[in-house]
Amino acid sequence: MMTFRRHWRILLIACVIGAAFTGLGVRLAFLHLGDNEALLDRINRTRHLEQTIVAGRGRVLDRNGVPLAMDLAVKNICVDPKVISEKGFVPFVGRNLARVLQEDPEVVLDRLNRPDRRFEYVRKFAPSEVSEPVAKMQLPGVFFEETTKRYYPQNSLMCHVVGFSNMEGVGSAGIEQRLNGYLRSTPGLRVGERDGRHREIYGRRSLEIDPLEGADVFLTLDMTIQHLLEKSMTQAMEQHQAKGAWAIVQRVRTGEILAMASYPNYDLNEYSKSTPEQRRNRNIGYVYEPGSTFKVAVIAAALNEGLVAPEDIIDCENGHWFYGNRPLRDFHAYGKLSVADVIKKSSNIGAAKVAVKLGPKALQRYLHEFGIGRRTGVDLPGEESGILHPTEKWSAISITRIAMGHEVAVTALQMLNVMSAIANDGFLMRPLILSRVQDSGGRTIFQAEPEVRGRPIREETSHTMKEILAHVTEKGGTGTKAAFEGYRVAGKTGTAQKPVRGGYSDSANIASFVGFFPVENPEVAMIVVVDEPQPLHTGGQVSAPVFSAIGGQVARYLGTRPGEWSGLMDGMMANRATSRRDELDFANVLTD
Amino acid sequence: MIKWGEIKAVLWRLDWWMVLVIMALMGAGIAFIYSACYRHDDLPVSLLYQKQIVWCGVGFGFFLTVLFVDYRRLGENALWLYLVGLVLLLLVLLVGKKVYGAYRWLSFFGIQVQPSEFAKLSTLVALAAYLGRPDRDVRRMETIAVALGIMLVPFLLILKEPDLGTAMVLVPMVFGMLFVAGMPMRILLFLLFLGMLVLPVSWLVLSPYQKDRLMVFVDPDRDPLGAGWNMVQSIIAVGSGGVTGKGFLQGTQNILGFLPRTVAPTDFIYSVIAEETGFVGSMVIMGLYVLLLSFCIRAAGAARDRFGRLLAVGAAIMMCCHVFVNLAMTVGLMPITGLPLPLISYGGSFMVGTMISLGIVQSVYVRRVER
Repeated sequence: MMTFRRHWRILLIACVIGAAFTGLGVRLAFLHLGDNEALLDRINRTRHLEQTIVAGRGRVLDRNGVPLAMDLAVKNICVDPKVISEKGFVPFVGRNLARVLQEDPEVVLDRLNRPDRRFEYVRKFAPSEVSEPVAKMQLPGVFFEETTKRYYPQNSLMCHVVGFSNMEGVGSAGIEQRLNGYLRSTPGLRVGERDGRHREIYGRRSLEIDPLEGADVFLTLDMTIQHLLEKSMTQAMEQHQAKGAWAIVQRVRTGEILAMASYPNYDLNEYSKSTPEQRRNRNIGYVYEPGSTFKVAVIAAALNEGLVAPEDIIDCENGHWFYGNRPLRDFHAYGKLSVADVIKKSSNIGAAKVAVKLGPKALQRYLHEFGIGRRTGVDLPGEESGILHPTEKWSAISITRIAMGHEVAVTALQMLNVMSAIANDGFLMRPLILSRVQDSGGRTIFQAEPEVRGRPIREETSHTMKEILAHVTEKGGTGTKAAFEGYRVAGKTGTAQKPVRGGYSDSANIASFVGFFPVENPEVAMIVVVDEPQPLHTGGQVSAPVFSAIGGQVARYLGTRPGEWSGLMDGMMANRATSRRDELDFANVLTD
Repeated sequence: MIKWGEIKAVLWRLDWWMVLVIMALMGAGIAFIYSACYRHDDLPVSLLYQKQIVWCGVGFGFFLTVLFVDYRRLGENALWLYLVGLVLLLLVLLVGKKVYGAYRWLSFFGIQVQPSEFAKLSTLVALAAYLGRPDRDVRRMETIAVALGIMLVPFLLILKEPDLGTAMVLVPMVFGMLFVAGMPMRILLFLLFLGMLVLPVSWLVLSPYQKDRLMVFVDPDRDPLGAGWNMVQSIIAVGSGGVTGKGFLQGTQNILGFLPRTVAPTDFIYSVIAEETGFVGSMVIMGLYVLLLSFCIRAAGAARDRFGRLLAVGAAIMMCCHVFVNLAMTVGLMPITGLPLPLISYGGSFMVGTMISLGIVQSVYVRRVER
């Protein structure tokens, strides 16, 4: 046996070793037997996996299924500046990223040179042709985030209708905003566990809620007609150096909007660079004094009341008439004109005299019935209601001014609806822009149906008005340039001076034409408005030719048969419209 | 020529309890290397554990060879052994194979060898031979200086690889041997004090990854996903084992890859054991090591001469360092240094080196004088 005297040094070493292992044993006991709760909690936390599953927003499509807005799978390129700078790769990674992303190396290096940060975006929403070369380089500290980007394949086409959704995927303009509830997706949730490499362990998934893809929205608009419309409008904008221009094409029987354009416009894919003026849909958001186009409502009301007949002669005072001690002038001086010719020649004095005959109360009631001063209820955000004052606020001469489309303000859509109602046997339809909504499984969850808002005039009045309006585009009328071959076209020109402080401008006006075709069986109505054409031009000279150009092409595209029912209209839609009309209580109809 | 009678005498005097403990630890090693590589019943388990069985056999071969060689023959050739060790260390720096950024391996006819393992042993023998001469006066400063010099050359060469963990094992070894050889207490305390002063300076020569590990040791949550990962996960593994563990092949920290697969069968094998067998298992393993070390100490006490005593003490301290550092690292008491666990961790060179050192201890023990 060891003796202490001989071996104390060895024994001391043994003691040191013993003490060391005793210490270890204590530590082991603490770890094993001690507060395991905290450790187990920690394990669960590192293993716990909670993922939201992102689903795509629904698409916006035209009536034929052409996509106007859709989600693209893209990647966010991210970096971990801490890792990159600790490994001394900042210049290397920065140089390569800048080269592939074609960015200023200084900017990229700035992003990487933040050793205190663990996350930084280098490029958001990079398409695969950008992200793939980056992925191939396998740069340290560079990683990707899967996401989606809203993409508008038609760029600026139909931009005001389609609108856009913002970076967070919330619709912020147009259909994207109004129908956000249908389009937006509901993210899913996945709860489970992950392993040491952060990969999910499939066997331990405890909760899986599938995401709900957004629904697809089909518009009533037709890409081809929209394209024709925008092409002609762009030309008109250039030709007349106009400040703005807007136009709508509508199906008379159903109220479906086939095309809607507004200038200035913008590229939906770069909406952040646009100005509020570019984003404004002037068709519903610009209120203007309609001028002579408004006369159709006044004359139709008087005809419906039986106060005048088309052949009745009205003295137009050779272009100069005092009413309420204020002069009223015609653009061209006329002597005696029939009621029909008052429209054809667009006599202010003639229209004013008819309005006076009608009286303020009746006029106000008819205008209200035609939808003036009321929102149309179209499925687009930002619609204005226009201005129609109550009769108590009218001055002595108001009635003569309203008759020629002043002291009253409308949107182009309201004006078009007046014309469509006249063409549609007196039925005022709600303008439709949403055709149907289809969920991600292909089931139709909403189907729009034609909706009658009212019936301001009788069918006979409608027929009479159609004939009167047809003369406008015939020889001697103000709108001869709106005519096109093969069809009888009806319509009305309008040239309104723009109101300025204390009166009306001499140099700025709004030139418009609103009409429909074919006269015998109106199928398509259309309004064209040009804001401040230069040099000064009238609706007959500026807007009527655009109407003609578009109208001819649209008629051929739709296969409209001159003078008869084209039959190409969705049969179901037409039937529904008819049955709704039959149901309509005739108490609504003004017959007294 | 070894005679049959001699063989019988050696086997008769051999410490069979120690052999038993060695076999128990090896068995545990093989079992838990299997577990560390196991992921799922349907997935093939890596064949690492089979290789380890082979290494155990090779280890015993070396153990017996060394056992039958009289340790005093080692003393006669100490200088040559020492020089061969240094040459191998130089070779590894010149033509060594780079693994994970360090030159630690030499390739002999397709067999990978870690020269630092051999150098440790040759340094042990050289120190024991130098300090073990009966006429050596360990109270003289020159003697202490030469002893430190013998240690310092391989120390620096191993540090250069770099392999800080292995190099650091040499330091307590030389001090322990000097102490047992009779170095005065005051000189030992003075040198320890000097070492304390040098320690802060050594911070300057550490490489960034080594500093990282040290900082993480001070504060594991500093970078729990990076450098601190292994340590945090190891502590979690040990702690979640509880009293009796989760059961063989049931350790989720290991199976789910929270303990990285590259280190689970080697440096972090003990946390696999602790997780799967709990407090009971980890204490049994630690108890076996304490037994093994006490057998070594007993051999030192029983040695017939000073040389033998120093050999046994040096081997014991070396073994103790490895075990202690590895266990302490696993339970978060020391920074991560990458020292494997003797007899259990997977690895050929280290197994052979450990078995040679145990063979040396037994070679001393079987030639003891009965008193």
